Amino acid sequence: MAMKDVMGIIYTGERDSFLRELTALRAVAAVPVAGRYRVIDFLVSSFVNSDIPNVGVIMQKNYHSLMDHLGSGKEWDLHGKSDGLFILPPFLTAENNGQYPGSLDALHANLNYIRRSRQEYVLLCNSLIIFNADFRDMVKSYEKSGADVCMMYSKRPDMQRSEYGVYLGIDEQGMINDLEIDPTKPRYENTSLEVTLLKKDLLINLIDRGVSRGYHDLMRHVFQRMIRDAGLRAAGYEYKKPCYRIDSIQSYFRFNMEVIKPEIRNDLFSDDRPVYTKLRDEMPARYLEHASISDSIVADGCIVDARVSRSVLFRGVRIGKGARVKNCIIMQDSVVEEDAELENCILDKQAHVRAGGKLIGPPSYPIVISKNMTI
Amino acid sequence: MKKKRCIAMLLAGGQGSRLGILTEDMAKPAIPYGGKYRIIDFPLSNCTNSGIDVVGVMTQYQPLELNSYIGSGSPWDLDLSYGGVYVLPPYVKGKHGEWYSGTANAIYQNVAFIRQFSPDHVLILAGDHIYKMDYNAMLNYHIEKEADATIAVREVPWEDAPRFGIMNTTAENVIFEFDEKPAKPKNNKASMGVYIFRWDKLLHYLTEDAKHPDSSNDFGKNIIPNMMADKQRMMAYDFEGYWKDVGTVYSLWEAHMDLLQMPMPIDLYDKNWRIYGRNPGETPHYVAPGATVKNCLVTEGCEVYGSVSHSVLFSGVTVMEGAVVEDSVVMPNAVVQCGAMVRRAIVAEDAVIGAGATVGETGGEIAVVGHAATVAKGGKIEPGQQFRGDAGSAERK
Repeated sequence: MAMKDVMGIIYTGERDSFLRELTALRAVAAVPVAGRYRVIDFLVSSFVNSDIPNVGVIMQKNYHSLMDHLGSGKEWDLHGKSDGLFILPPFLTAENNGQYPGSLDALHANLNYIRRSRQEYVLLCNSLIIFNADFRDMVKSYEKSGADVCMMYSKRPDMQRSEYGVYLGIDEQGMINDLEIDPTKPRYENTSLEVTLLKKDLLINLIDRGVSRGYHDLMRHVFQRMIRDAGLRAAGYEYKKPCYRIDSIQSYFRFNMEVIKPEIRNDLFSDDRPVYTKLRDEMPARYLEHASISDSIVADGCIVDARVSRSVLFRGVRIGKGARVKNCIIMQDSVVEEDAELENCILDKQAHVRAGGKLIGPPSYPIVISKNMTI
Repeated sequence: MKKKRCIAMLLAGGQGSRLGILTEDMAKPAIPYGGKYRIIDFPLSNCTNSGIDVVGVMTQYQPLELNSYIGSGSPWDLDLSYGGVYVLPPYVKGKHGEWYSGTANAIYQNVAFIRQFSPDHVLILAGDHIYKMDYNAMLNYHIEKEADATIAVREVPWEDAPRFGIMNTTAENVIFEFDEKPAKPKNNKASMGVYIFRWDKLLHYLTEDAKHPDSSNDFGKNIIPNMMADKQRMMAYDFEGYWKDVGTVYSLWEAHMDLLQMPMPIDLYDKNWRIYGRNPGETPHYVAPGATVKNCLVTEGCEVYGSVSHSVLFSGVTVMEGAVVEDSVVMPNAVVQCGAMVRRAIVAEDAVIGAGATVGETGGEIAVVGHAATVAKGGKIEPGQQFRGDAGSAERK
């Protein structure tokens, strides 16, 4: 099977309340990260770098910012004639009220797109995971296993959460024999990255059967039951490189701080597997006379005249003279005026901290300033 | 085919030989500028911001870099179904081909291209200058004044006037005389090399000019003087604002230092007049603990471990520990290794300054390290020296 026979589907509709203010007006997929990217850029770029030519993005609520970001898919070279990027917003029909109770409903609503696509295989993903994955390797492993479906997982301890997530029980042959969903205490160390590869015909069949039984969630109601009780042959595929799940303010903060480290950045953004994003034509960043900066990443368009340490500055951020910024994530076009002091803060886009303002959060629970807020 | 009111023709074939080794393997309009642009981004962005959506770019000298840079024109929103940017190299016609022998000849050889759009007016541009200009305002002026040709001018200091093509104008800005580098200038309005012609008039004068084998086929030397002689209606259009010729090593360096002034003499933050360019799409730049950056421009993809002041770093530049970069311009992907000193210098793309090497000196003439050149560990490049390296342009990334 060739990579051109694989289509990618990204479901962006779940678990966005955990990021509090950051997802009040946008999906997790659209949350800005690492100075100039959005969460979804990593997934879409992974598809493109793996030669997957067709990517569908199922949108749920608040999809404006995501649509605006992805556009025609030009930045990912996904604006071809037959394949390319397909934005799939919810729509009203007799059987679809515009809001999907679960992933199964979302896929069902988009069955026409799935059927019409010429690919034979489907790679299903949710949008909380950040990695720069080579799916070609997963496809090879799936082929070799001869299984019906293949699920990607990570054994990395930092991927294990106690409250939610999907955990896989895997036997000696590498086959999945159990699937735990949101356990209080997971029994397995294999955290699912919720990346599933299967034949399109099988997926369509599972969707039809699931929906006709009144099910809503593909993981919980279909895969879990089928693997436990109906003999669905599911192979596991271990992803060994670093990956990150953005499912809380803390994990969001931690990920951004990790990206400052050169070794992490070089791995996540390697030259042969670039991460693409929507472009914005900005001047280079500008440092003035009083700039003193260390251990930080800074995007184009910033103007800095202050002390900044261990922080992430997105495009177009302004930091005035005498200000102090430490352990902060400051999103696009935010302004920190003169002599303000910020520590352990996340400023959403276009936030504004007035001169002399002081915001010191505890390292374990960063302060979040919502988009367009003035403090 | 649908008509276009005005199309632009951009002369990008010049070598820019006064830029020395910097233009040995690329045309002047492809020279990097301002951290993430190339010179040609300015006229192209001006076109798109002015609503001029057909741009013919005439290339000739070392066109490879320029051609791949322009590509489909999408960075400037010039990838259109009808219109957009077209690269126009000279080509073989009938039994023989010919190079562009002058600025007017380049346009003359592309008459068939221009005719496809049946424009009323043609805007002639050069790819040598850094400026922001609303060509549409100039076009409206040209139409309103019923001019046959309109020439953009800017006032230069009187003492500099002898270095320029000076337009002598009436109180109504009608040009009655053109003085090429006058010893005793009567006016201080210098031509910027930006012209708008009525297409029917321009075609007539280009055709006439082509009949004269002795002609230089040049706008400044032939076409404009011929139109003046025939008493065509020639208007001057006053331009105010930043305009910089970057034709020499020093002026290219100086144009970068201008960007470090506060406020910048040319506002590149203006969201209503963005300068577009092909974006390298790199990660935000990184400043390490212990590094210092002051009074400089730093672009995405840079890694700074050393000390950088009053300088412009293009995308992907690395300044390693203990290295010092001062009053300099460091172009894309160049590396300044540990302990190297770079002062008052232009370091071209992909160059490597070896550990402990010295390039230029404070207060000295501008030193230049050429494209992909490697300055050996502990080596020294004197002020004013242009260092090509052993590999020359053969070894490129």
